Amino acid sequence: MAAVRSQEEGGFFAWMMAPERRGPMLVAPALIVLFVMNIFPLLWSFGLSFFNYRANRQDIPDFVGLRFYERVLTDPDVWERFQTTALIVGSSVLVQLILGFLLALMFANQFPLRRVLLMLVLAPMMLSFVSVGVFFKLYYEPTFGLLSQAVRVFTGSTYAILGSPTGAIIAIVIADAWMWAPFVMLLVLAGLVSVPKYLYEAAEIDRASWWRRFRTITFPYIRSLLLLAVLFRTIETFKLFDIVYIITEGGPGTATETIAVYTYRVAFQFFRTSQSSALAYIILFVVIVLTNLYLYAVKQREREVS
Amino acid sequence: MTIELQQLTKQFGQLTAVDAIDLEVGDGEVLCLLGPSGCGKTTTLRMIAGLEWATGGEIKLAGRVVNHLAARERNVAMSFQFYALYPSLSVAENLAYPLYAEGLSGAQIKHKVAQVARVLQLDSILNRLPGQLAEGEKQRVAVGRSIIREPNCFLFDEPLSRLDVTLREEMRGEIKEVLQGLKRATVIVTHDQLEALTMADRIAVMRAGVIEQVASPHDIFQMPENLFVAGFIGTPGMNLVSATLTDFGQNNVGTFAVEGGQTLTIAVDPAVGRLERGARVTLGIRPRNLEIVHESVADGLSSVIDMIEPMGAETLAHLNDGMHDIRVVTDWRAPLEEGDHVHVRFLPGVTHVFDAHEQAVRS
Amino acid sequence: MARIGSRPREIGKAGWGWTAFTSVVSLIYFFPVLWIILTAFKTRSDALAVPPKFFFTPTLQNFTNVFFRESITAQAAQATEFPLYFFNSIFIAGTSVFLALILGTLAAYGFSRYPLRGNDTYLFVILTTRMLPPIVVIIPIFLMFRLTGLAGSYWGIILLYTAFNIPFSVWLVKSFFDELNPEIEDAARMDGAGEKRVFFAMCLPQILAGLAATFVFGMILTWNEFIFALLLTGVETRTVPVAMARTMGGEIGVDYGLLAAIVTLFLIPIFVVTYILQNQLLRGVTFGTVKK
Repeated sequence: MAAVRSQEEGGFFAWMMAPERRGPMLVAPALIVLFVMNIFPLLWSFGLSFFNYRANRQDIPDFVGLRFYERVLTDPDVWERFQTTALIVGSSVLVQLILGFLLALMFANQFPLRRVLLMLVLAPMMLSFVSVGVFFKLYYEPTFGLLSQAVRVFTGSTYAILGSPTGAIIAIVIADAWMWAPFVMLLVLAGLVSVPKYLYEAAEIDRASWWRRFRTITFPYIRSLLLLAVLFRTIETFKLFDIVYIITEGGPGTATETIAVYTYRVAFQFFRTSQSSALAYIILFVVIVLTNLYLYAVKQREREVS
Repeated sequence: MTIELQQLTKQFGQLTAVDAIDLEVGDGEVLCLLGPSGCGKTTTLRMIAGLEWATGGEIKLAGRVVNHLAARERNVAMSFQFYALYPSLSVAENLAYPLYAEGLSGAQIKHKVAQVARVLQLDSILNRLPGQLAEGEKQRVAVGRSIIREPNCFLFDEPLSRLDVTLREEMRGEIKEVLQGLKRATVIVTHDQLEALTMADRIAVMRAGVIEQVASPHDIFQMPENLFVAGFIGTPGMNLVSATLTDFGQNNVGTFAVEGGQTLTIAVDPAVGRLERGARVTLGIRPRNLEIVHESVADGLSSVIDMIEPMGAETLAHLNDGMHDIRVVTDWRAPLEEGDHVHVRFLPGVTHVFDAHEQAVRS
Repeated sequence: MARIGSRPREIGKAGWGWTAFTSVVSLIYFFPVLWIILTAFKTRSDALAVPPKFFFTPTLQNFTNVFFRESITAQAAQATEFPLYFFNSIFIAGTSVFLALILGTLAAYGFSRYPLRGNDTYLFVILTTRMLPPIVVIIPIFLMFRLTGLAGSYWGIILLYTAFNIPFSVWLVKSFFDELNPEIEDAARMDGAGEKRVFFAMCLPQILAGLAATFVFGMILTWNEFIFALLLTGVETRTVPVAMARTMGGEIGVDYGLLAAIVTLFLIPIFVVTYILQNQLLRGVTFGTVKK
């Protein structure tokens, strides 16, 4: 009897590990966790977005259909936050690109101590958003802050960069771009070192000018990586929350309130749970589109490299 | 315009890649640097181009020392082993690339590109990208790009190594034709002796950073100066037999005691007479200069056929008597069987004698 | 005579001159971090001195304060909990990254060697969940945790971080599996190795370095995570970033020296790891989508 059972168990194991079931069996545990912790909550909040529900009350939610989507999409506040987000994302990614690109050019050659110096430049990326937020807030502080004190050397008066809406946005962009330019640098650097050395040698023999060499040899090798960098950083900067939350808390007024911070407010300060779910779904849609574009660019680059 | 190398040396740390070589390439001359991989031939070429700096000695182009000049200031043209075509540029743009530095007008550039494209039959593929080209076409574009302007000299790094056998034969002829039209000092680096023998005016055989011999293809083949050149040039390789000189008499006939007890009496170079009796020598003879005969002869050796390799019109027989491996090339009709006892006769006047220092003994 | 000294520059190489230039630029770029490190060694008054002090008598007080602070004020009382927060950060990140690595490696092997129908779609969905702003997922998870009582517990946050790390692990580890030569596995099968043996004895040992890199990058990402921790950890399970952010709350008396000491303590392992894993870094930060 026992023998039969163990045979059956063996049979079940064999059934489980049959070649055609191996793939599903291997990926199932990870997918289940993801489903429980990510997909299911998303579906739930998708459901919530059609009901009138507030997490801080005990009312029974009533079905309101697309009312919250309508409200969110027509709310001028929401559009303003999207514009703020776009402005911050756009400027930050642009600054990251320029800085990252220049840094990459600086590290493209081999020279003594390169590895050590590279670490100094990579350090900001390894910090946490919270650390960057906390200390940039200190640097921006009007009395003790380094920025203000540096400005005072020239103007004689303290400078509160976080006091004006434009200044606050610039402050956020500086902190975020400083933190993530090394990321762009890494990508561009990968492109730069992938250029076969013999092409540069041929260009040297052919007496090509620096600019022509860059345009015809170097740039084609980094073009696809620049696109990847832009998309990846756009997706990531779109999430920008921690730095804003710590440095400006969205202020002054709502000048630096990104869509992520706004959603957080709606959900956890005003407890308009359904409305925030609807907002979240709009963000989700944007990220899906961007992620798709990103993966398309990844495939494109893989084709180029092979 | 000439290329002159004097005591040229390149050291990579402790390793000496090129060891004080002297070499001269005349105006309009094609010189092949031939040698096994790692012998320093590519390093030498790259030093001439200016892509590698010399750690010692001098490089002169057209009589001027150029050691301190960057590649772009030396005005040389070079074709690379991996072609080094610019992947994002079309064939026409690749060809035009070296011309931009010359400050030519658009029309002049167009004209030159068309001219080179005609010579190398690239007209139909001018708009393609390198990635869309066949190997032979890439090779042509690489050559085209190096000949489009008028440099001091031309440098080719393993120009045919990436082509298959048929294409290689075809391109060998084409490149030779193109080179004859250029009339510039040209250096070709290759490890393929057939390439060197067919394309070069002179061949420099290199080994371990040193030039072993510089001579015309004919002389390199007929009169190798040392054992290395003798063994390196020619397919199948020259037979090398260790022996002791026992006697040297009239008509330059030498008698040699071959290892394993056999005696060989053959006419050799008169200079052999100057060697002491009892001197250790190496005898060299090419497989095509041996003749299989049916009885034992004084000017030959006896052995056993170990293996037979048919090569079409000819047959290559490996003979081995336990002491020497001797290769003989005969007509394919010769009735040979593995295991046969045979005798090979050394044809007169073609045996090379190398002394104990591996140098040819020649008057 | 040979003219040594004046020689053409080699392509792709630069000398000490470039090192000097790069050092200056790198140090300027590194300055905000350097200032944090300096602040960690300053006394409270030096840290906020006007004008800023570049030269000062260094003190280790901030570092001892991280672990053994006597409660003098209300602010300081909060800070005494830092040993717990350190433990929480390491325990929570370590456990969840480890779990995610196991699940992720299995899944990565499946996606790489036994592609499913719609393999790319699964991978896309997995990556999308990672690309989502945490705020999108956090609302329902917050509700879910409240209902199930997982909020504020170790299990809740570990489970969430495991899910948070799975996409990263799957993509990164898959990129390592994809690089292996499957012929070696086929050769092992021909020699009679079973599937378990192929996986454990042939594949895993070859990507061990990659797994280590995945673990380390996962640790850094998780360790630094803020918003999930902010909403889902309680007093007992609070992690360092949340504790740091909370000390910012008070209008006066933010102890920057203490915070700088914490950041500096974090930086040491990160520097070591960055130096060792420099070649894997690009792959790590792009979730394995860009290899080189």
